[in-house]
Amino acid sequence: MAGFPILSLVTFLPVLGMIIIMFLKKEQALTIKYTTLLITGIQLVVAVVMLLNFNYNAQGVFQQSSFQFIEKFRWIQVPGVSWLGTVKIDYFLGVDGISMPMILLTAIVSFIATLSSWNIEKSIKGYFALFLLLDTGMMGVFVSLDFFLFYIFWELMLLPMYFLIGIWGGPRKEYAAIKFFIYTLFGSVFMLLVMIGLYFSAFETLADGTKVHTFNLLAMMDPSNFSANGILSPFNPSNLRFIAYIALFVGFAIKIPMFPFHTWLPDAHVEAPTPISVILAGVLLKMGTYGILRISYPIFPDITKQLMWWIALFGMINILYGAFVALAQKDFKKLIAYSSVSHMGYVLLGMASLTTAGISGAVFQMFNHGTITAMLFLIVGVIYDRAHTRGLDEFGGLAVQMPIYAGFVTVAFFAAIGLPSMSGFVSEALVFVGSFSVEGIRVLSILSSLGILLGAGYMLWTLQRVYLGKLNEKWANLKDLDVREYLMFVPLSIIVIFLGVYPSGMLNIMTTSVNTLVNLVNNGFAKVLF
Amino acid sequence: MDVSNIIESLKLIKPEIAVSASLILVLIFDLIFHKDKKLIPYVALLGLFATGYFVIHQFGTTGFGFATKSTFKAFGMVTVDSFGTFFKLLILISAVLVLFFSSFSDEIKKTTDRLGEYYVLIFGMILGMFLMVSATDFLLIYLSMELLSLSSYVLAGFTKLRDRNSEASLKYVIYGSVSSGLMLFGISIIYGLTGSTNLYVINSLIQSPQINVLALSFALILVMAGMGFKISAAPFHFWTPDVYEGSPITITAFLSVASKAAGFGLLIRFIKTGFAAMTLNNGYWMLNPIFDWKLIIVILAILTMTLGNFSALWQNNLKRMLAYSSIAHAGYLLLGLAVFSNQGIAAILIYFFVYMLMNLGAFLIVMLIADKLGSEDVDDYDGLGYTSPFLGISLAVFLVSLTGLPPTAGFIGKLYIFSALIDAKMFVVAVIGVLNSVVSLYYYIRVLKHMYLVKPKIQPVEIIPGLSQKFLVLLLVVPVLFFGIYFSPIVELAKNCVVLLGF
Amino acid sequence: MTLYDIIFYLFALITIGSAMLVVTTKNIVHAAFALLLTFFGVAGIYVLLAADFLAIVQIMVYVGGILVLIIFGVMLTNKITSVEIKTGTLNVLTASIVIGVFMGLVVSIMVWTGWYSMPAPIPATTAYGLGETLISDYALIFELLAMLLLIALVGAASIARREKESL
Repeated sequence: MAGFPILSLVTFLPVLGMIIIMFLKKEQALTIKYTTLLITGIQLVVAVVMLLNFNYNAQGVFQQSSFQFIEKFRWIQVPGVSWLGTVKIDYFLGVDGISMPMILLTAIVSFIATLSSWNIEKSIKGYFALFLLLDTGMMGVFVSLDFFLFYIFWELMLLPMYFLIGIWGGPRKEYAAIKFFIYTLFGSVFMLLVMIGLYFSAFETLADGTKVHTFNLLAMMDPSNFSANGILSPFNPSNLRFIAYIALFVGFAIKIPMFPFHTWLPDAHVEAPTPISVILAGVLLKMGTYGILRISYPIFPDITKQLMWWIALFGMINILYGAFVALAQKDFKKLIAYSSVSHMGYVLLGMASLTTAGISGAVFQMFNHGTITAMLFLIVGVIYDRAHTRGLDEFGGLAVQMPIYAGFVTVAFFAAIGLPSMSGFVSEALVFVGSFSVEGIRVLSILSSLGILLGAGYMLWTLQRVYLGKLNEKWANLKDLDVREYLMFVPLSIIVIFLGVYPSGMLNIMTTSVNTLVNLVNNGFAKVLF
Repeated sequence: MDVSNIIESLKLIKPEIAVSASLILVLIFDLIFHKDKKLIPYVALLGLFATGYFVIHQFGTTGFGFATKSTFKAFGMVTVDSFGTFFKLLILISAVLVLFFSSFSDEIKKTTDRLGEYYVLIFGMILGMFLMVSATDFLLIYLSMELLSLSSYVLAGFTKLRDRNSEASLKYVIYGSVSSGLMLFGISIIYGLTGSTNLYVINSLIQSPQINVLALSFALILVMAGMGFKISAAPFHFWTPDVYEGSPITITAFLSVASKAAGFGLLIRFIKTGFAAMTLNNGYWMLNPIFDWKLIIVILAILTMTLGNFSALWQNNLKRMLAYSSIAHAGYLLLGLAVFSNQGIAAILIYFFVYMLMNLGAFLIVMLIADKLGSEDVDDYDGLGYTSPFLGISLAVFLVSLTGLPPTAGFIGKLYIFSALIDAKMFVVAVIGVLNSVVSLYYYIRVLKHMYLVKPKIQPVEIIPGLSQKFLVLLLVVPVLFFGIYFSPIVELAKNCVVLLGF
Repeated sequence: MTLYDIIFYLFALITIGSAMLVVTTKNIVHAAFALLLTFFGVAGIYVLLAADFLAIVQIMVYVGGILVLIIFGVMLTNKITSVEIKTGTLNVLTASIVIGVFMGLVVSIMVWTGWYSMPAPIPATTAYGLGETLISDYALIFELLAMLLLIALVGAASIARREKESL
């Protein structure tokens, strides 16, 4: 496989699909749909091929040599003058144990979302073109190892998302779309400033020995690459580094979304069409936590350690707040949206522990939440397609009417609650093991465990209200799942159950890298500094 | 000054001579072929290309022209350097594009029998702008600004059929005369303090301690009023929305790009030549400490972009919205100046290049739509994205670029401006700047909202641009996207063009 | 106070007083005539500054040319003579404060500044020197002025041309 640009392929394949769709006619709706399905299918296959060729023992994180499927070449180069250093930006892609699960997740969710997009009717051509562009943006974020490239992909998905919510969304789509856009842009402009600050602080030594400023994330992780008086250098006694960390964190936190930056999420989820909700919950939210693990943690380990209690605190608030608000919801989709807030809280809590168990749990939870929430949104989508309402109190006894559907619902709900033998259980357990073992955040960890109870509460209550009890006569003619919907639910259910029974399948991918990250954050930097 | 000196100097102003010659040529053509005006645009275009030849030829040339007897031999009224040449090129490119715009514009087509005057006046503007960006003598500064103003006053009210055209013209004249009067007063005070109008001489004279700081500051603020008017920096921006809205759209586009570029070129050169003691090796300027330039420019910049952005939020007329947005962009550009370093100037040059492409593009699309729709109101754009996909997507690209989102060229401009700020450790200013760009997202995206999201009340008209129009749009869209992804060429160009003769 | 000073202030008074009249009077004909006085006053100051050529030009061009044109314009446009120009007095207070501050600044600057002075003998005539400078040192400025006038002519022609309502 060496030398084959598999990462560029997996990233830019959707763009190719987009170009093909551009040349198709509006009337060829089915061709457009099959093209998209084919493209996302190939993407999934490529992702699986990558997994098969993945070296489980390579560290990654900060070591370029142990990243896999590396592609690196010069993208921008402007020779310097006395007042302007050489401008150099690399096209630098690579994968390690932390990004591999995310790539798989993106590929799976995109494929499923394509299937779920089948009944989109309004301007199909535009929809699938934007959908594929969004896919590229997401994939790009998970494979870039250059901050500049990362930022471009990060911003690239804003516009497609805006249109996908805004054009194909529900009644308040315009409001939801602009809210999503402004919130995320607000976060990312701070990221831009921190990125520039890091650029001016860090150096990279080129092959010919000259030192140039760099956007290379890996170079920024090595304290010896910082000049003593660099703005964000660890040797700089000013508190700028602290401020920069918080600015960067806010940029990521908006995406997660972390309380109190979460208010865009319910709006966006409720108004977005089902496949976009699936993408939003399944992949986009993970970009926030992924960004923290990929950028904030290894580049600012000193600050991370100072702030771990706060991260855990916000994790706890997310868990409890999300769960409480979910309990109060009358709209099925909103309930799932708030449960997302709650579940992303576990990720934050796990990350804050700075232990192997906790961070593995966090990454695993990211993957699981992606698959489980995707399923939950598809579940909402199925009844919304049929009944055109999402009120939790308007249903009842659907299990009788749609038994197969109800079966998948049970799987998804139990996984979301974190029932043993489902994937959600393993990741949440790891998160708690990790966070409980750290004395500083033990109390927060204990409090957070309340979230599991609450989670069971709102999930089971929903199950009871919608699916159990007497069938509401109004819905007596609802049909059970069709083949396409089977295709969406079956693979997700298999993943959820498989990873519940055999979690090592996923954990093994990430263990080496997570260990490296934990070591880096805990000692790597300290050794050089003190 | 002897004859040989004049002849030497003339060699330095070949582009300006070419512009003047073309101006007269167009005038004569207009007189001879006054029955058939079809030829005039071609003559004008030819003139611009000839000028372009001389401008490109001038890259890398440096020199001082028209030194007077009383000044040092070396320091003249006209300074030719790559910085000025860059701006000349910018002005020229936008002039060529505006010429093409004019050939499509319905507004201009309606005034065929005055087409000669139209092109003559455009050449008048170009001549004024060319001299502005290379002027280092107050006399020349003032005169070239007047030349530009006079031509643009008339052009702003060129189509006389609508009331708001005359209104635009009149407002422009009144605001313009006041600001140029203030500037002239400031110049006279500086002359009174130093006894010279030459910026190089002034620079060396105001180093002396006995200069009255109050008088100098007062004079400089007055001079800034004149230049601030040209770049429509707050609080001298009040004319902008009315004039931009009322003028023919081709002229609005030209004013918003070229005239602003000339104003910036002049302002930067004025500060650098007149008040920089020296340029340090790391690119930062040592400014004369008698006047706090940094504070003034930072305040101006923040005021300008904030006022521009927040006023733009409420605009329904697209031309007016773009007018406010151009004010906001002037604010970002001033941020680049506030750094007072070569990095900042490079950022300004990059930004301007990008701004030219995206702003002209946006105006072009608005014009093409207005010609068919008869309206620039954003409510009339409802559903237009579906009936006219080509124009819709192009406008989207330009607006996204104006917001400064990757992967468009607008992002590169912003990136360099903010890089310069961060490098100079002006963090608070940088934060205000980025927050402003978040605000700007709202009104740019509002246009897209109307084009794509809002359900139209009536069936929107289908606008199919002609082949040449499509070509022109692509000519602007493609570089906006290309430079967003591969921006080495602009950075390289800008880096080489930060050659400002002076201290 | 020398005789020179007294004459200067006399001319200054005439200039400012008549200029005030121009902006305050409501009758446009009166305003035009007051403008005449203003131009004369300025010409007088030019004479005092030994700028003889400029003074002559001021009288010939402004008084003899432009002002006569203005008055002709006013007289021939029969409707205008009787029109009362409304000078809407808005924000008198703000305006006075701003003007007051501005004037204070100007006066203090005038008093406190050590102006640059170049002692030079008063030439018999400035016309020769001016002419020479204009075609040598300020050749560019001279040519540019010519361009400016050309543009002004073209602009004036363009404004004056009657627009056909439709084409």
